[in-house]
Amino acid sequence: MIIEIGHYALVLSLATSLLLSVLPLIGARRQDAALMALAPIGSVTLFGLVALSFAALTWAYAVSDFSVANVWENSHSLMPLVYKLSGVWGNHEGSMLLWLLILVLFSAMVAVFGRNLPDSLRATVLSVQAWIGTAFLLFILLTSNPFVRLNPAPAEGQDLNPVLQDPGLAVHPPLLYLGYVGFSVCFSFAIAALIEGRIDAAWARWVRPWTLAAWTFLTAGIAMGSYWAYYELGWGGWWFWDPVENASFMPWLAGTALLHSALVMEKREALKVWTVLLAILTFSLSLLGTFLVRSGVLTSVHAFATDPTRGTFILAILSFFVGGAFALYAWRAPELKSGGLFAPISREGALVLNNLILTVSTATVLIGTLYPLVLETLTGEKISVGAPFFNLSFGLLMIPLLIAVPFGPLLAWKRGDLLGALQRLYLVAGLSLVAGFVLFYLEHGGPVMAGLGLALGFFLMLGALADLWFRSGFGKLAFSVAFARFKGLPRSAFGTALAHFGLGVTVLGIVAVTTFETETVVEMKQGQTVTVGGYSLVFDGLREAVGPNFTEERGHFTVSRAGVAVADVWSSKRIYTARRMPTTEAGILTFGFSQLYVSLGDPMADGGIVVRIWWKPWILCIWGGALVMMVGGFVSLSDRRLRVGAPSRRAKPVKALMEPAE
Amino acid sequence: MVLWIVLAVLTAVVAAVLIAPLMKARQPVLAGPEDGAAVYRDQLREIDRDLSEGLIGAQEADYARAEIGRRLLAIAGKSDATDASVVKAGPGGRHRLALSAILLCLPAVGLCLYLMLGSPGLPDQPLEARLANPGNNIALLIAKAERHLAQNPNDGAGWDLLAPIYFRSQRLADAENAYRRAIALLGESPERLAGLGETLVAGRDGVVTADALAAFERAVALNRNNMRARFYVALGLEQAGRTPEALKAFQAIAADSPPGAAWTQLVAEHIAKNGGAPAAATKAPGNPGADDIAAAQQLSATDRQQMIAGMVESLAARLKDDPNNIEGWLRLVRSYKVLGRDESAGEALKTGLKTFPPTGEEGRRLLALAREMGLSLEGISQ
Repeated sequence: MIIEIGHYALVLSLATSLLLSVLPLIGARRQDAALMALAPIGSVTLFGLVALSFAALTWAYAVSDFSVANVWENSHSLMPLVYKLSGVWGNHEGSMLLWLLILVLFSAMVAVFGRNLPDSLRATVLSVQAWIGTAFLLFILLTSNPFVRLNPAPAEGQDLNPVLQDPGLAVHPPLLYLGYVGFSVCFSFAIAALIEGRIDAAWARWVRPWTLAAWTFLTAGIAMGSYWAYYELGWGGWWFWDPVENASFMPWLAGTALLHSALVMEKREALKVWTVLLAILTFSLSLLGTFLVRSGVLTSVHAFATDPTRGTFILAILSFFVGGAFALYAWRAPELKSGGLFAPISREGALVLNNLILTVSTATVLIGTLYPLVLETLTGEKISVGAPFFNLSFGLLMIPLLIAVPFGPLLAWKRGDLLGALQRLYLVAGLSLVAGFVLFYLEHGGPVMAGLGLALGFFLMLGALADLWFRSGFGKLAFSVAFARFKGLPRSAFGTALAHFGLGVTVLGIVAVTTFETETVVEMKQGQTVTVGGYSLVFDGLREAVGPNFTEERGHFTVSRAGVAVADVWSSKRIYTARRMPTTEAGILTFGFSQLYVSLGDPMADGGIVVRIWWKPWILCIWGGALVMMVGGFVSLSDRRLRVGAPSRRAKPVKALMEPAE
Repeated sequence: MVLWIVLAVLTAVVAAVLIAPLMKARQPVLAGPEDGAAVYRDQLREIDRDLSEGLIGAQEADYARAEIGRRLLAIAGKSDATDASVVKAGPGGRHRLALSAILLCLPAVGLCLYLMLGSPGLPDQPLEARLANPGNNIALLIAKAERHLAQNPNDGAGWDLLAPIYFRSQRLADAENAYRRAIALLGESPERLAGLGETLVAGRDGVVTADALAAFERAVALNRNNMRARFYVALGLEQAGRTPEALKAFQAIAADSPPGAAWTQLVAEHIAKNGGAPAAATKAPGNPGADDIAAAQQLSATDRQQMIAGMVESLAARLKDDPNNIEGWLRLVRSYKVLGRDESAGEALKTGLKTFPPTGEEGRRLLALAREMGLSLEGISQ
């Protein structure tokens, strides 16, 4: 009965969502308070219904109810409970339900924390959210229903894809969806602004926390996904320019641009029209990503053609929202008044440069992702656009942007002094160059460009610190005064500095790994030794082991440095019994920010086994930097200014806004 | 019934929550011009701070203040305008349309879609509960035994019990594993060895492999009267082309068998095949009937499969002429699967679904069977 209640709750959500799509919108147009008041309470109800439905499905997974087709297809009664639960979204139907759950969660949060919004804006925003909800509810119920039952029920499930049986599945999709779907709020705000014909600095300030929250989660989600792929797939790579990765990276690029343009708009009421466009664009890219991943179009254009129901449905959703939004934009945007003036060299100008480069690079990634699909559809020719294309085009675009980053926060609003900023950054640039080359010599070898790359990383990091240094007036004012000013800086200043610092850390990690990493492929027999990255590994042999739903062969390695044993590591190959599917579990040892990555290959006829060992210097910086960016996002989110709206009607600080999401 | 009450209550609660704001007599609420003003005032303060940190020039700060000031004024102007057009509000009357939309939409959409998509008659079936009360569902009994053995992998008796059941369900790899575990834990016995051998033979389409032969030979060494093992040893000799030895072995089986044993006929056939004179038939030639069927049940797995295969082919031919026979299709799919001919089973399933589309009652039975038997449903739209 629980499952059927969950199913009905989902159907009832559709009815509720339909009502919310229409009634509050009419209310907002007619200034009808009662109809507008329907929006917040309805959104919270909608969240309750979808949560009920999600809980019912989760329950079916927890108790292995194989009368639910979705559970039978993606679960096994002997899996550990944590994988049973995360298995809920480890498949198409369940992950769409999670998508929907997070969408209505954001609506409910706008309803609860948006009490300082004007009633009509809030009602319109929530109505637009409900349109998106309605579209996805229809999609789930009509093409991807997770509540389809089997009668008679099978006795055992078909197991979850072994690659997904990992703690990563519990964290990565929810984080990524919090980011993806979070941008729906910005989209709804943009559409609402276009409908209302009202857009001003206050609007930007209301949108900013949502952009910031979505961006922060998306950053975390992408970094988490990259780390998961790194340790689970056993190839030692951390980014593959795979279309699925690009699908999440494009909204991130556009979202980063949005974050910065919203800043200009909030401060100076400039770039209004552009900000609205970016908000639409960012969520459109999120939808596009959902389409690419969920329609099966990526695996093969032909797979899409043979069962096009889902693909066509998402394509219809995509066209409706993207097409509709751009049409509305074309119609209404000219009516929005443009705002403040600024000189080309100014903080605003720097942010415009940031936006230009970010959008162009988004377009680059978009073309690289879609071109093979279009070509295959038109000519049947199969090509893959891989790392060389992206590294060259995207990499070249990024260099000027990265160089410009430390200048941005140092330039004054309206009209900046580039020379002054340059002078202040002389020292930073010099120090970075020295640090870059010092690190280069420490790791010795590699092209000279790497030294510059490393310097760029340090430039970003030191530049971020320099911003705080100069704003506090260290060196110019007495230390105590400067320190007091330092403490008094707004949180968003720290957020900016942290995010830019984190970016530098990531750049440092990327340059160091690509330049200095070593790959050793050897055939090893028991007792053999191999030296990698200054460490010697002794292969102690293989051993059989049995897990709850897999059997594995584990190889043990003792790692020593200068003759002293410092660590040991297991690396294994697993066979998951239900699906007879092999996976590799790489053995990873961390030394500071560097890692030793050991992966087992195929056994040889003479009793040896192929072992791949990578030395990955500074690799943790890649994700560590993302982590720092994320912290920056949260710090900025806690800035009290984001809470300014209507102080008298404010209920809770925006900081609390994150808590239900965690 | 309980389900319908819960669903009705759920609908009613949602309707009540949505109606509540419409029923309340509201104070007219002003659209908040205050909100914007607060933001702008905060921006003015921010300019002072930026100025002191050198983030904006003195002249630019003045300009910026002027810009913000203009916006504040604009808002003040707007707020007067909003005052004039006070937000409308009102109970009941005005919202009759909205009320009826809510009261109609929720039950109508909810009920229609649910009746279309849901399975209100199906209870929850948590695996634990089903395992506690498996009835005579073989798949569940197997699952239950599997879970027991996953926790007690050293329960030899459990493996011994499960092995022949696996064999009968055509899960040969599992059967082999179970027989081996039972032998490892409980020691060799003629029955276990013969069962293991038979599993290996079935897994190789009736070929007595070296592995299987070794198992049968050990079974015979333990108990010379295990006729099943002796038959397979002889069959192995026959397949190896060692005809004289095979003939001798089959003749020995015939001699040692009690009169009227079920396998007499089969052994006699093999004796004839290997060039020997049929031993004196102990069984009077009579009409094939109940006896034959009983004999078939006593036959070795390989020969039984041959017999079944003949029956299945004739069933397939019948269905080709007259496809409108759902029981026939069900039997055909099941038989092919039991014979290990998955491809033919898939073909039969597809052909059957042409006559009985998956949307119909019969089609669903076919699909359910296919699922139960673990057939791949790829390429079949549900």
